[in-house]
Amino acid sequence: MTETVISQTIEPTATIVGKRSWGRALLTPSFLVPAVVLAILILIALLPGPIAGIFGHGDPHACDLGRSTDGPANGHPFGFDLQGCDVYANVIYGTRSSLSVGLLTTVLAMAVALVVGTAAGMFGGWLDTVLSRLTDIFLGFPFLLGAVVVLGSVGERSVLTVSLVLALFGWPTMARLTRGAVRGVRGAEFVQAGQAMGLSTWRIVTRYVLPSSISPVLVLATITVGGVIVSESSLTYLGIGLQPPAVSWGLELSAASGNFERAPHMLIFPALFLVITVLAIIGLGDALRTALDPKRS
Amino acid sequence: MRRSVIGLIAIAAATTLVAAGCGPTGTSASAGGSAADTSLVYATGEPDHLTPGRQTVAFDQVMALFAPLTWIDNSNKVTDLAAKSVTTTDNKNWTITLRSGWKFQNGEPVTAQSYVKAWNYEAYGPHAWENSGELAEIVGYTDLNPAKGKPKTTEMSGLKATGTDTFTVELTHPDSQFPMQLTQAQTGFFPMPEAAYKDLAAYDRKPIGNGPYEMTEAWKDNQPFTVQAWKGYQGPKAVTQKVTFKSYTNMDTAYTDVQAGNADVVFLPADKMTSAKGDFGDHLYSFDSPGIDYLGFPLWNKKYSDPRVREAISMSINRQEVNKAIYGGLYTPATALTPPDMAGTQPGICGQYCTFNPTQAKKLLAEAGGFSGEMDLIYPGGDGLDSLYQAYANQIRQNLGIAKVVAKPSADWASYYATLTNSTVAGPHFGHWGALYTSQQNTLRSLFTTAGGCYFCTGKYHNDDVDKLMAKADSATTQSEANTYYTQVQKRVLQDFPVVPTFFDRYSYVTSTKVTKLPSIEGSPVISQIKVS
Repeated sequence: MTETVISQTIEPTATIVGKRSWGRALLTPSFLVPAVVLAILILIALLPGPIAGIFGHGDPHACDLGRSTDGPANGHPFGFDLQGCDVYANVIYGTRSSLSVGLLTTVLAMAVALVVGTAAGMFGGWLDTVLSRLTDIFLGFPFLLGAVVVLGSVGERSVLTVSLVLALFGWPTMARLTRGAVRGVRGAEFVQAGQAMGLSTWRIVTRYVLPSSISPVLVLATITVGGVIVSESSLTYLGIGLQPPAVSWGLELSAASGNFERAPHMLIFPALFLVITVLAIIGLGDALRTALDPKRS
Repeated sequence: MRRSVIGLIAIAAATTLVAAGCGPTGTSASAGGSAADTSLVYATGEPDHLTPGRQTVAFDQVMALFAPLTWIDNSNKVTDLAAKSVTTTDNKNWTITLRSGWKFQNGEPVTAQSYVKAWNYEAYGPHAWENSGELAEIVGYTDLNPAKGKPKTTEMSGLKATGTDTFTVELTHPDSQFPMQLTQAQTGFFPMPEAAYKDLAAYDRKPIGNGPYEMTEAWKDNQPFTVQAWKGYQGPKAVTQKVTFKSYTNMDTAYTDVQAGNADVVFLPADKMTSAKGDFGDHLYSFDSPGIDYLGFPLWNKKYSDPRVREAISMSINRQEVNKAIYGGLYTPATALTPPDMAGTQPGICGQYCTFNPTQAKKLLAEAGGFSGEMDLIYPGGDGLDSLYQAYANQIRQNLGIAKVVAKPSADWASYYATLTNSTVAGPHFGHWGALYTSQQNTLRSLFTTAGGCYFCTGKYHNDDVDKLMAKADSATTQSEANTYYTQVQKRVLQDFPVVPTFFDRYSYVTSTKVTKLPSIEGSPVISQIKVS
């Protein structure tokens, strides 16, 4: 009797999250298009050199001040920036910083969120109270303001430090979501069964609780990557994100903003890459959400 | 260095008073102010003080409210304004006679005592008035500013009122440039009425001056205030009847406000230089000014101690291209140690070392043993200098073939300044000097002698020959004689090449369409002579 109940409870959950939805979701254009775009962007991030060099001027640091703000020309499809550097090469090389910040921040934030959320949701009691209030406190900080203050006091600003700071303010939403999901599963019969069988808490959490509660967090994390990339650009634009000689879209946008009317190409091309990346990531997140939604018919 | 930037703003602000060609003499006073009730909104930063001995960023306001003893025009001719005469026989003992009939705006007559008392009060160390340094050459100044403890006296022995309208000034050493130091931007030499001392804090908010405009209301923090043409002024009358000083924390906002017609005149922020021509057309004004930009060096650092390295860096920078790309062509590439509007400056004295020549630059660097490691260009962050220093970094890196040249902003002005004063600056660094009067003396002495206020701005450069030549110029009997010595100073300094002169400043202003004429002196508008329609 108990065994049937367990199998009944576990099996349907596994099926809903598993094969059926994944297989179908992968074949829809709403998943395929963003996935392909992202694959290309990741390729660019991994191999910026050869891709930047396609038009023959692949060095983002080779600048000719005499051609400052010149528009697109032969061999320079995106034109030149204020310093006379090739915009195309800079956009291509900038992909790595932007994607790295997005992914690194999200991974860090998610790691924190999973630990905090699971602990709070699983154990409840005073630990839940403490962790939840902590989460509330961090949620209470205006995200950008907090990042501005902390980054302003950080000496050297690199991809790592910017990611750390963004993750510092990025984990609470995910932690809340995790806590909710874990609480939903905590009382499930298969968990109780595991406890009755004397499995260790670690095993129960990693084998049973997390797998059944992680899908909403994954969806949120995917969308967060897009949000973080935008935040990095905003912070860099404000002069407190990445610093030259690093190359990033935010830096390009920042340099371009003052000269938009005179040389719109300096702004348009990096912005285009930013928009496409963020759209692709959010599209992917949406597709995942649809695929993972247990209520989907 | 702080002073230097202040200097910049100063002069930017400086010309407040009179239009070109108003050689003011007591008698020629009224040029006939227009009867129309004209008004003008002048956008500035927030003042720190309005007391002339204290202000360091409120030149525009203070120069509208007060009149200087002497007036300098764009041809560097010094004429007497509030003074009837400034005379000497030995460049050391000066006699200043005031014009009679001058009054403060509260009706008090301006007497020799108005000057003597104000200068003594300002020079008294414990008062810590910001512009006290302008009086440092007067005998007795050191008694009021002892290294330790309280001063034993409150008056400078070298400053004496010898009559109602006459006072004498004894300097610690001969200084032929003294009359120039009394001109309009050196507000530390302005007088104060007896009424001021009753409540100096209130006076700071609503000063009583002897100049073309008077306060109509007290200045309140972050609030605009209006000054009105004063009928009792004995100098050239104000053309515009009312001027409202409106302060902004962000000058880009002020720029937009002028564009929208909410304000009429603003000093052009650096990051708008490339777009100003398109935004304002004919209402963009650009003036020669007494400021110079340069790169200073940590001369004690082995990487930079060879003059050839510094010369190579200088020759690797294409100033024309930087000017066009970063400053929208508004600046002038530097070819000397002082800008051409300084009396007697010989542009081009720097010669080949200030001329772009990458081949020669590389050769010089190789002769000096090359350059290893990373070169950091240090500049104060948050002042809109980023594009400029990135451009320098790119030029030096590419033209000298140095692997890594990085433009590094400091956190803020204070931390940048600290690295200069305690000699920890890591590489070539931002340098600027804006003089408050257009004698080469001010710039050369400040930057290239240890007696000057900014010797740490140039890597603590010192040379005995330079000191001797400066002293000779101070004792010169004519301006042209002094200028010959200044030329020799420049030649001597350039042999050592402690700095890379980069640009002669041009102060630029944009105005609303309402402004029809923007006369300037020393690079800054003369507020009382601005014409509006």
